[in-house]
This record gives sequence, C-alpha cells and structure tokens, in this order.
Amino acid sequence: MRGYEAGPLARTLAWATVLYLLLPITIVIPVSLTDRRYLSLPEQSLSLQHYANLLRSEAWLSAIGQSFWIALASTLVAVVTGTLCAIGCWRIGRRSTELVRALMLLPLIIPAIVYAIGLYRWFGWMGLLDRFLGVTLAHGVTGIPYVVITVSTALAAFDPRLEQAARGMGASLWQTLRWVILPRIAPGIASGAIFAFIHSWDELVMVLFIASRQVFTLPRKIWDGINENLDPSMAAVAVLLILFTVLLLALDGAVRARRGG
Amino acid sequence: MTAVARPGALVAGAESAGHALELRGLSKRYGGFTAVDAVSLRVERGQFLTLLGPSGSGKTTILMMIAGFVAPGEGAVLLDGRDITALPPERRDFGMVFQGYALFPHMTVAENVAFPLRVRRLGRAAREEKVRAALDLVQLSGFADRRPSQLSGGQQQRVALARALVFDPDLLLLDEPLSALDRKLRAELQEELKALHRRIGRTFVSVTHDQEEALSLSDQVAILNHGRLVQLGPPEALYERPRTRFVAGFLGHSNFLRGTVREVAAAGSVVQAGGTRLLQRDEPGPPGATVLLSLRPEKIALLAEGEGAENAVAGSIAAWAYLGAGYSLSVATCDLGVLHVALPAWRAPIAPREGLPVRLGWSAEAAVPVLEDADAA
Amino acid sequence: MPRDAAVLPAAAAPRPGLALPREAGWWLLLLPAFLLMTALYVAPILQVLAISFTEPTPGLGNYERLFTAAGVQRVIGTTLRICAVTTVVALVLGYALAYVIALASPRARRWWLLGVLLPLWISVLVRAFAWVTLLRRQGLVNEGLLAAGLIEEPLKLVWNEFGIVVGMVHYMVPYAVLPMLAAMREIDPRLLAAARGLGASRLTVFGRVFLPLSMPGLVAAGVLVFIVSLGFYITPAILGGGKTLMAAEWIKLQILDLVRWGMGAMLASVLVVTILATLAIFARVVDLRRLFGGGH
Repeated sequence: MRGYEAGPLARTLAWATVLYLLLPITIVIPVSLTDRRYLSLPEQSLSLQHYANLLRSEAWLSAIGQSFWIALASTLVAVVTGTLCAIGCWRIGRRSTELVRALMLLPLIIPAIVYAIGLYRWFGWMGLLDRFLGVTLAHGVTGIPYVVITVSTALAAFDPRLEQAARGMGASLWQTLRWVILPRIAPGIASGAIFAFIHSWDELVMVLFIASRQVFTLPRKIWDGINENLDPSMAAVAVLLILFTVLLLALDGAVRARRGG
Repeated sequence: MTAVARPGALVAGAESAGHALELRGLSKRYGGFTAVDAVSLRVERGQFLTLLGPSGSGKTTILMMIAGFVAPGEGAVLLDGRDITALPPERRDFGMVFQGYALFPHMTVAENVAFPLRVRRLGRAAREEKVRAALDLVQLSGFADRRPSQLSGGQQQRVALARALVFDPDLLLLDEPLSALDRKLRAELQEELKALHRRIGRTFVSVTHDQEEALSLSDQVAILNHGRLVQLGPPEALYERPRTRFVAGFLGHSNFLRGTVREVAAAGSVVQAGGTRLLQRDEPGPPGATVLLSLRPEKIALLAEGEGAENAVAGSIAAWAYLGAGYSLSVATCDLGVLHVALPAWRAPIAPREGLPVRLGWSAEAAVPVLEDADAA
Repeated sequence: MPRDAAVLPAAAAPRPGLALPREAGWWLLLLPAFLLMTALYVAPILQVLAISFTEPTPGLGNYERLFTAAGVQRVIGTTLRICAVTTVVALVLGYALAYVIALASPRARRWWLLGVLLPLWISVLVRAFAWVTLLRRQGLVNEGLLAAGLIEEPLKLVWNEFGIVVGMVHYMVPYAVLPMLAAMREIDPRLLAAARGLGASRLTVFGRVFLPLSMPGLVAAGVLVFIVSLGFYITPAILGGGKTLMAAEWIKLQILDLVRWGMGAMLASVLVVTILATLAIFARVVDLRRLFGGGH
C-alpha cells in the first residue's frame, strides 16, 4: 500500500498492542533462569537449576512423554480423516457438502467445556475414561477442523483439470489421489498436521474431565502446578513449551514457503 | 479397451489406426438450460473433426460427454459401433489434451508423459521406451527432465500432446488446444498438429471457438449454436455453401441480401431486392418466395468505368480501412444497405476515400442462399 | 448424510447403476471423518442437551432456574459483562494493529503478522502463567512499582475481573486482528491515496472511506471474539482465582464438584444455543474457514 501510511496514533497503539502481546510471554524467560527458589527475576546470577530439576523429574518427563504420544496419535487421526474429508468435499462440489464442512468446523465453535462434560458422560459409558485411546480420539476429533481448513485452502488452489486429466488418462480414484492430488496438497496437509499437533499438545479442558491418573498430560501437570505451587520450574516448562511452539510454527513457515516457491 | 497399450510404434499406417466415433441424439440439460440438444454425427476412422461454435454453444459439453466426464441426459456415444456411454472416463482409453494442458506441475516432462503408462502398470523398460518415442514424435527429446513450469507455452502444448498419445489411445480429444498460445505460435503449431495427425492417422476430435483453426486443421467441421448442430461438412463446403445465416456469419464475414424471387429460368433466377434485380445462377426458391442471400466481401469487385458484371450496384464509400494486404470498404448502396467489400490492395483501381461514388459487381455464382436460423431449426 | 450419498449422484446422472460408483467413491472419503465426528463429537454434545431436560427430573425445571436462581443469573451477568468488555477492548487494540499491518510494506507486514500469530499459537496455560507471574501480589509489576516508590501497597491486579480481562484480551487480540485484516486487505489502497489527493484529511479518509469499507471485518471480528470469550475456561479460572465465576467454570463446578448434572448441562446448552444463534445471525459476515486458512 504505497502512497498511504498509517498515522502516528494508529502506529503508537499498534506498537503498544504488539508489546502487550509479546512482552508478558517473554517475561517467563528471565524468570525461568532465576537463582532463587521462588518466582522472581534473577538477582545475583543466571541459573539453569530449574531446567535441571525439570529434566530430573520423573513426573514432568512422563507428562511430556504422554502428551507427545497422544498428540502424535491424535494428529494421525485428524490428518487422515480430515484430509480425506476435505478432498471429498472439494471434489463433490460446494453446495451439497456445505453441511458436512460446517459439521467439521463445529469443534472450533462450540466451547471445549461443553464438549468436555459431554465426553465425561459419553466416555464413561463407553469405558474410555482415563485411557490413552479416549484422550487420543477426543483430541483427534477436535483436531479435524484444522486439517479440513488447511487442506481445503490448499485444494482451492489446485487445478481441478489435473484431476480430470488423470482420470481421463485412465487413473483410478486411488491412483489419482496418490499420484496427483496428495503430492499437490502435501504442504496443506503438513500445515494441518502441525496445527492439530499443537492443538492436542496444549489441550487441557477435555483432559481435566476425561483423564485423571493413568493419563496425565503436560498441560494437566502445568495446571496443577499453577494451582498448587508456583515455582520457577513452571517457568522453565513454559519456556520449553514456547520454544517448541516457535519451532513448530517455523516448520509450518518453511512448509508454506516451499509451497509458495 | 485393453488396459495395457497395444504393442507397436505410435506411427502407424493410416488405414490400420483410428476408430470411428458416432454420437446419437446426444442431449444435456442443466436445470432449465439445454446445453446440448439432440446432436448426432459420425467421425470416420482417422478423420480430424472440429466442433466449432461460440462460447455457450455446447461444444465443450459434447467433448466432455465423449470423454466421459459428463453423463449425457439422452443419447449415446458409440465407438466402432459399440455403445460406450456408460463407461467412466478412465476406462475409455481416449487421449485428451486439456484446455491449458493440465500438465502435472510436480512431475517432470517424462513423468507427465509416463503417467498414462504408469496407471496401466506398464513395466519400466516398456514405459521408458514409449515415453522416448512420444517425446521424439513431438520433438521434445531433450526436455525429459524439465518441469512444466520451465517450458514455453508451445512446448507445454507438445508435452500435453505426447502425454495424450503415448498410450496409443483409440481417440484423441483436444479441448481448445491452441487457444493459450500467441498468434504466431498458434499458426506454427496448427501446421505441426495437422502433420502429426496425418502421420499417426488416428481419429482426432477437437473443440475450438477459433474459425481459422477449425478451417485449417479439420477434415470435417461441425458448427454448433445454442446446443444444436447447425451444419457438418468439410471446411470448404461450409465456407462456400453455408446452410444458415449463422454459419455464413460465424465462418468468415458475410453480407446478407434479402429479396423476393421473381423468375426462375434455366440460365438463372432473378431476385428482386428493392429496386435492384439480382441474378442468381442457382434456384434460391420458388417464384414469390422471400430469400436471404449470403455474399462474401471478397467476392465483390470494384468495377472500373464502363466495366460490366452479372450483378452491379452503385453506391458510395461510407468508411474504409487499410489492412496491409488489402482494403476493407463499407459501401452504402440504395437498395442493399451497406455492403462490406474486401479488396486486395494490388487490385484496387482507386484510392479509397469517404464519399467516393463506386460501382460494385459480382457474378451470379457469388451469392449463396441461406436459411434464417429460426427456419433451420 | 450417507443417504444423500446415494441420492445426489443418481440425480445428476441418468444411469444410476453405472455413474454411481465413481461418485460414490468420493462420498466414501467423507465417511471416516463423518462417522468419527458424529459418534464422538455430535453425540456427546446432543447428550448434554438431553441431560439438561431430563436430570434430575424430566421437564424444563433446569431452565426455570434461569429466571429464579440468583446464582445462575449472577454468573450469566458476570460472563456477559466480562465478554463485552473483552470484545470492545480487543476490537480497539486489534483494529489499530490490523490497520497498521494492512498499510505496512510487505516486509514489515510479515514481522507484524509474526507478532500477532506467535501468541495465538502459544499455549493458553503458558500465557495465563505468565500473567500470574506478572500481576500477582508479589508479582513483577507490583514489586517493580513498589521498588520505584510509585505505590505503597501492592495493587490488586489479579484474581479479580481486571485480571481476567487482561488475560482474555491478550488471548483475543489475534482473533480480532485476523478477520479485520482480511477485510482491510481487500480495500484498494489507491482509493485512500485518491481520497488524500482530492484534499481529504487523514481523519476524513479514515472516517469516510477506510472505516466503512472495513466494517464487515470489524463485525466478523466482534462476533468471533464474543462467542469465543463466552465459553472461555482456562484463563478466567486461573486469573479469576475462583472468586469471579464465569459460565465455563461454573459449569465445571456444577458437574465435577457438586454433581448437579442438570444445571451444568442447562447452562452448557444455553451457551451452545447462544453461540450458534449469534453465528446464524451473522453468518454472512463471519467466515471461520478464513481465520485459520493459509492466508497468513
């Protein structure tokens, strides 16, 4: 937008807003390096003791491990079903599948708390409470919208004649999917997978209801930490989580850049 | 309909290759809109048929029905007399060059061309052999490892051709094959395409809105308008003897003269148009009938002082343009309205200017009676 | 939906037996997601709706409490108040941010967007924790202000409505920016330059040209922020410290602590219906798909 720029008032407010968004998050970095045993800025020197505590703690490591496997498995569920669904909707056409797409977006709209209490009953009845499978399925289903959205976006840029060309040259539905459609939308699928992974990795509300002892994820552990003892190892966890998210987003950026180029 | 391509080189004798295609009463309606209305036609083995019409004439829908992407509402598609209407596109074994080519951007040229063979599970050696032959055929041997995005428009077009021909298809379908190219390249590729067709002798069905392309490439041209087949025939016949006003106006340019038949005699008929009597060699209709004549601008001559012609009218130049190869004149006449005249520059006896009085003349064979399209239907 | 699968292609093709299998293949692709979504998402939520009418006794008893029980009314009032304040503040901050981003050079735009998207994807728990660290009684803000001698008593910055709003706005600003930015990017920058060229002041250009053209984005952002705020759980629970109850935490309390399923399910149903109704009303301006789509 050359030739027209934002005024000083708007720029000041925008800068203030960005600082408001970013600064509080970055504050956990110095706090995690404190040499004290309570939440504070470092006083005498920087210390990695809280990271060390964290990595020596069986409970934290187990929570991280559980969260990781659940996120991985639920991402798989979301990616497979979400991708197929987005391709189906795309190919069949707009009008008749609008309802299916709306259905797939429900988890973004309906508050997690409502779903969580519903699941509490539903899984109790199905015997899935406090089970790895139960949490995986719940996170997988609620991760579908991210995949549907990113894959649909990738498909919108896909030339439908390529699909027609493949069929015209004798390719079956399956061959067309594997050799023509999937390679073209792979970046969209990767983006969806990253978002579905972050979604599960961070998810707490459902876990509060459908998991208790057997399944104890990282967000659950942080939640207990915040509510019970606010100590600097919490800050260390927060920093690790932030780094992890930044890493995943950078990965997503790289994927998108490749698609663009 | 074998899944594996037949053995043998792509270039085959004209008599052995190619299949005959027949459309019987093909119709397609979308809601209340009739896209294709009872189209029947036959393409003989090894012929090049072009479906020509303005946008919305139903030509692309017909091609899509031949390819199997659109199911006809009524009618049938027959290949060598066998009904294939119900076959899905992937089982028809037709090669197709798509509009804009639809090359797979994530594959190299060789992978693109190999695609039809890959889906037919042809062995690697046979595949490479055929891909090489197909790329040779379109003179792209050195480009096997490039990506489509690294090719020019003309090269992409040739890759699309190679890909459509590599599996030795029963029929080659071309959807606006040259429309994405610039004018000069288009002319070049027209010749190549025509030569290719002669060389491999397969049946081609093409769709275009470009009349020049249709005339230069085809053995047969089918003219379509509003979903109907208006006229089918060799290019010369269509141009020289258009059946309806639409055909005359769509293929090239035409003047239309309306008149009433006065006399019919062995030497010719007389058509009265206002105060002018026009001599026609053929018999446009019974005496008393109102007829419409199509007169091509290039068949009208500018008469010199004292020169005579079977038909002659006086008028004055209303507008003119110099086009390099010749002049285009609009001549206002008393009884026939404005007549368009295409005059080769070397034959122009005068330097045109507005208001200049001129006499126009044409032979009794020059004009052709045509039907109004409403009557033709 | 599976029933449609059989009907739709048949209507399109006159030979159902032959044309069907090809189309049916594409419908089969929808099936896994559809089954999963129905059995594991829609069903539990429908069950919540059902419970609100059946427990503890069948009837509308739970909904009657909406009009009679002061406790429920207080929670709803608190929720609506906090959501309204959050929405307004998030819109103002988000609008300024979106405005600057929309008018920035492509290079600068990437950096601004990073500043918006990074917080969006950072765990809500981490963010709530960061705010607690900053705002609590012995937190960095109070310590800093005390040390500087600006205050004598620590300020009550958290475990009240103020803390909740600070945390929620922080969460919502990115949600507000994205739809507004999408709308603003569609405004032809030449219009603005032209208006300036015709002698309009910066304020006039903004008020008469930019603001009206960005209105759809503003409305979409408002709707989005409001409905997401309504069901918010984690941030209010942590920053409210159990003293200020919003709808989601109240529901959790009813079900996990008081085991009053009927009441919890009732408020949950009210939440869902309110959100869906709001979306239906604004369906034309809110496009959820655009929010997370590859636009950034």
